[in-house]
Amino acid sequence: MCGIFGYVGMESAGPIVYRGLETLEYRGYDSAGIALREDGSDTLSVAKRAGEVSALSVPDESASTCAIGHTRWSTHGPPTDANAHPHTDCADSVAVVHNGIVENHEELAEELADHTFTSETDTEVIPHLLEAAFDENASEEPLDGSTSRTDGGSATDGVSSRVATELRRGVESVTDRLEGSYAVAAVHTGADCIVATRQESPLVVGHGEDASYLASDVPALVEHTREVTYLEDGDIAVLQAGEVSIYRDGERVEPTRSTIDWDADAAQKGGYEHYMRKEIHEQPTALRQTLGSRVDVNAGTASLDVDFPKGYLESLEEIQLLAMGTSYYAGQYAATLFESLAGVRATPVMASEYTYTGGRDPWRTLSVAVTQSGETADTLGALREAGAAGARTLGVTNTLGSSVTREADDALFIRAGPEIGVAATKTFASQVSTLALLAIAIGRERGELSAAEARSHLEDLTGLPGAIQQVLDEEARIRETAHEYADSDAFFFVGREYGHPVALEGALKLKEISYDHAEGFAAGELKHGPLALVTDQTPVLAVLTEGSRPQETLNNVAEVQARGAPTIGVTSDDVAASSLTETFDVPDAGIFEPLVANVYFQLFAYHVANAKGRSIDKPRNLAKSVTVE
Amino acid sequence: MRDSSVPAIVLAAGEGRRLAPLTHRRPKPMVPVANRPLLEHVVSAIAEAGVDRIVLVVGHRQERIRTHFGDGDAWNVAIEYVEQPTRLGTAHAVAQAEGAVDGPFLVLNGDRIVDADLIRQVRERLLAEGGPVVSVTPSDRPSDYGVVTLDGDRVASIEEKPHAAASSSLINAGVYGFAPAIFDAIRETPQEAGELGIPTTLARAVETGSISAVRYRGTWLDVSHLWDLLYVTAATIEGGDGVDRTGVHESAVLAADIVLGDNARVGPNATIGGATALGDNVTVESNAVVANAVVLPDAVIESGAVVRDAVVGENAHVGANATIAGGPASVVVENEVHDDVEFGGVIGDTAHVGGGATVEPGTIVGDGVDIAGGASVRGRFETDAVVRRG
Repeated sequence: MCGIFGYVGMESAGPIVYRGLETLEYRGYDSAGIALREDGSDTLSVAKRAGEVSALSVPDESASTCAIGHTRWSTHGPPTDANAHPHTDCADSVAVVHNGIVENHEELAEELADHTFTSETDTEVIPHLLEAAFDENASEEPLDGSTSRTDGGSATDGVSSRVATELRRGVESVTDRLEGSYAVAAVHTGADCIVATRQESPLVVGHGEDASYLASDVPALVEHTREVTYLEDGDIAVLQAGEVSIYRDGERVEPTRSTIDWDADAAQKGGYEHYMRKEIHEQPTALRQTLGSRVDVNAGTASLDVDFPKGYLESLEEIQLLAMGTSYYAGQYAATLFESLAGVRATPVMASEYTYTGGRDPWRTLSVAVTQSGETADTLGALREAGAAGARTLGVTNTLGSSVTREADDALFIRAGPEIGVAATKTFASQVSTLALLAIAIGRERGELSAAEARSHLEDLTGLPGAIQQVLDEEARIRETAHEYADSDAFFFVGREYGHPVALEGALKLKEISYDHAEGFAAGELKHGPLALVTDQTPVLAVLTEGSRPQETLNNVAEVQARGAPTIGVTSDDVAASSLTETFDVPDAGIFEPLVANVYFQLFAYHVANAKGRSIDKPRNLAKSVTVE
Repeated sequence: MRDSSVPAIVLAAGEGRRLAPLTHRRPKPMVPVANRPLLEHVVSAIAEAGVDRIVLVVGHRQERIRTHFGDGDAWNVAIEYVEQPTRLGTAHAVAQAEGAVDGPFLVLNGDRIVDADLIRQVRERLLAEGGPVVSVTPSDRPSDYGVVTLDGDRVASIEEKPHAAASSSLINAGVYGFAPAIFDAIRETPQEAGELGIPTTLARAVETGSISAVRYRGTWLDVSHLWDLLYVTAATIEGGDGVDRTGVHESAVLAADIVLGDNARVGPNATIGGATALGDNVTVESNAVVANAVVLPDAVIESGAVVRDAVVGENAHVGANATIAGGPASVVVENEVHDDVEFGGVIGDTAHVGGGATVEPGTIVGDGVDIAGGASVRGRFETDAVVRRG
């Protein structure tokens, strides 16, 4: 996963692209680079290096009004200055940034034996292929960048420069030859434009008044424009100042533009030291948006914009939840909801392990891909497999226009707003709540859930924002506890039923950002092995709320107490947990209490990591969404 | 007109003890008026006046402020934060922002609603004369504030909450203009009673007649007491624009001068009377009556409940057929008796009022309090108290 940003307009491009890269840094931050194009210069100014964007010094080319930049997350070749993007051809007249993987790069590089390669990346074949394409054209018809600028616009393609046309055709012919996934942007010394295309990697065009923008993700664009076009696979976009031409199968097309209705400041770190803490605190607001107009408590129904064919839900035999990481735990929570509220067998599957087997009837199987970014490669892969086998597919995502929304039969949005911190927080709550609404809707449709039962669960759901705010108000106490135990040898999280996925998610959060050893277990699993790890230096955090069979879990907690482990329990009213070292309460929220308990675990993880001075928003070795398998 | 050279320091670290229990979980500037925090009214006025940079001095429960305002993009201003770790008065709060300003600047209270026009006037005077600039406005209750007397357009005296009859009906409106020299004055002023207020800092400048006064007669709203929240909300709701009835049952009756938050739900035959603000995600169930009331986000008013002249906290529950009848009451706040205030009471954040319970006028129910069904309560209940039926 990498971030791409491009600008062509009237202003000095360097600072604008630099800012864009900072916003995109969550997509990858092991190297960064920029290529600036200036009228009249026959080479591009390229600066690139290993390290974060802040380490990059943008060349002082204030006259340049066209530039592309890249923030890298290594897949081929380690993070070094040479491997950083942009990559150029031999003459430094074409520069390319790329997000994705060119699978046949070795084969292509062999054909380019007379070209000099300077990096170990799969990307570098692209500028050299472009150079070759230009050379081929030049041998047929000499091409002079300076005169071509005066040849005026041709009415048919709206692109004024012949070089721009050549670059577009070059990109078209080169991408025909690439295998794999990519979002690519290219600039050429001879044309005041950016040419971009994508295949299975995200790329969004932003339309300004007298400028055009390009970015891997919408938050980087919102400070400039709210009018965007989501490119489709194979689209070629030519960006000029204030004008964008998009080509599909060689024909100029006018795809519908979208308007971003997010708050611009929702995409910034606003007021907090870390995005993660900001996003933890945004959960009440995010959940109010998630539930929004979807809940009708009086009618005892949830309305979601997903239309299943008549009779489909009644005949449904299985719901598969395909996801990775935090989304997987949300899927596990949801699986139990589907079974108990909708009376349908439900199975969470790690998407990377997914195969469509077991003699399932594809007509009676719903495969739900849960991915915050909508771009998670493992999850998309599983979704494709399910779709190919004939199962109906549903994408549950936070990202409008993302790949999963195009590839699944239907899409359901969690409406949590942008999430920037690498460690997912608010999107977990929104994923579970959205899937709960789906479980209630399906349960009603199948006649498995009475209106009264549905109403009671819907009331619990609408109470979640307030319940979570109540937990956030206790932050000072959980911070104190986190500081007290920060230097423990390891941390174990346990829970049953809905508390089990929350225990797993709690452990994942802690290990992601604090680098401590943390593991989550089904509470009953402890005595079958993990108990051997428990000492007086390993706090055990337990979910003891409604919806997590607290009395049974208390027995397991007693086992670890007998080994001297400190115990930190999240409880609700009816649980007698006085023997615990520390207890934290959650308000009544029925079977969603474990979801509220999770907010304590998020704050615990945050404050342990913060006490240790960890890089919370950008933990080592991790990227926000993983677009490689 | 934009003048980026003059930033505004906004004091938002106040605890607001007199507004307890609402200020247990939020700082006073985050108490909502017409569904927008007091501080948001202030920030909007500052932005409207053309100031493009705001330094918020925060302390008590500052997460609420940071989460709400972020970088300020939604108000088209750049917002920065500085922390006042200990509450040692308004001058001390201003001093915390010393590193964030390097020229003349404005100072405002984060909990007083004023017009953009006042901010513009203070800035113009500041740029013309260099400061200090103080603003004054007439008040019905001058003795509750800093009473100011003038000599022409100079300040002749400032007296904080005088015990004797006020010598003037003009009060300090709390919008100031200062040059960086004020930071030296703050350092040189001895602290009284552990707190350092801006008026104390200005005492020497008053003597030399060097403080310029801007006279102001416009919106100036202060929420000193819980019941002020009701009339300030009433004064702020414009009404008449028509209310978006999404989430409102067709049989519910809504007055014109109300505001509904996002995803607020109103059930069948419920009545929402005038001067009422329902926050985001509030639920008012069937047949309930809510009038002249402020209901904070996520609260639930169950079927048949009556809530009049009252404030209902965030995520609080008022049970079925519970009654907060409203009307005049005597309320004791910090050992002071306030007679005959029109105040049905306050239900603190996350508190539960059981079904059929009666809350007498003027009752202050703390946050997290649990009142049993059918109980009749009056007086004051501290945080997390449990009230059984007697």
